[in-house]
Amino acid sequence: MSLAARFRCPTCGADALVAVTPELLRQATEKGAVRALAKCPRGHATVLTIDQYGQIRSALPVQESARPDCEVTDKAPMSVRARLAVILEKGAVTDADVLLLEKAKAAGWVICI
Amino acid sequence: MKMLIDNWGMFLLMREFMEILGGSKGLKLFMQYERYKLAAAVQAALECGVDCRKPPNDVISLLFSVARHKGLLKEGCQVEHVPQPKAPPPQAVEEYFQLVDDVVIDKMCEYVAKHPSDVVPREEAMAYYQALMSAPFYIAFRKAIYDKLAKLYKYPTILDVGAGTQDPLDILDVCETRGVRCELTALEVDQRLCADLERLTAKYGFNVACGWGKLGTYHIAVVQNVLHWATDPLQVLSSARRHAGRLFISQGVVEGAGIGFVLIKALGANKPLSWREVEGLAKRAGWRLARRYARYPDYLALYR
Repeated sequence: MSLAARFRCPTCGADALVAVTPELLRQATEKGAVRALAKCPRGHATVLTIDQYGQIRSALPVQESARPDCEVTDKAPMSVRARLAVILEKGAVTDADVLLLEKAKAAGWVICI
Repeated sequence: MKMLIDNWGMFLLMREFMEILGGSKGLKLFMQYERYKLAAAVQAALECGVDCRKPPNDVISLLFSVARHKGLLKEGCQVEHVPQPKAPPPQAVEEYFQLVDDVVIDKMCEYVAKHPSDVVPREEAMAYYQALMSAPFYIAFRKAIYDKLAKLYKYPTILDVGAGTQDPLDILDVCETRGVRCELTALEVDQRLCADLERLTAKYGFNVACGWGKLGTYHIAVVQNVLHWATDPLQVLSSARRHAGRLFISQGVVEGAGIGFVLIKALGANKPLSWREVEGLAKRAGWRLARRYARYPDYLALYR
């Protein structure tokens, strides 16, 4: 039987539940803690650290990071190409980078496979 | 001398801005490029077949109006020749001038033939807007205003009206630098910007209000370059009056407008205002002018 542990989404603050399975508890007992991926009700992916007692020790947002399968398209204007290329190469360092990358994808300036 | 008296607040900020641009040489280059790009945009419009007396839409109309005000567009549709500056623009504003090329000059013939919203679709406008708002020179400019003039760190509760995605982070950064914890509420009416803001709240610890409905009361409201986006700027200022004890306005006004105004207009901004209009609207909304720091190119003032 799985236990349910409560966590607060680090992205939007929504309360969410994650199922802590016996397998997760076993791994946490062996290693001291285990990492699990969960989604909040609003769909934000979150990395949880769960200890051997089924307690959530940390909840961190999954940030958009450098993706080798993304590229800047010809549609991207010259003004932001350099910035987008750096974000794709090194990963989004700031939240402004994350937002710019999202908007650039929506505008068709960046495509990811 | 009159310019100095009208705008002493701008001179206080100039030091910060000049540091970013690389001193007085950088500032001079910035101004040269502003003029050069404005003349190039007007020239492009005329080459695309526009009659300067009959601009086909608001974007080109604003372009001509700004160029006339700067003395670049003369009677009979003559454009003053402005040579390209020999040195490249200061690094901090290189991307900005490239944005001007991308959004205004390179698309000029499209503006002549189509409605501006068909030239820069909404999705692209949002991406350009995000790029502009997060440009280092613009962040530095806003922070200097919040720190040196508005002194936002002195107010326990702040309402950031029409916050956008970058402004709340800048305000919190100013507070943090001063070692103060500011309680900030970011107000947005655009649903997509609200969603972006909500994702930032947990990390930065500010509140988001999507619309005027669920607001409390605040020590100060900040209205930073919002009024030219609003369909009803008076309503914005009147609503702020109901929720805040003081108001700080920072608004780029038409008296000092350059090519940046045309850029913003192309991205969907509404009507640009003069400093007298801004002041008149604030007074009609029930605010009393406490201190005016500058009239143009940015109107900067504190109200009670």
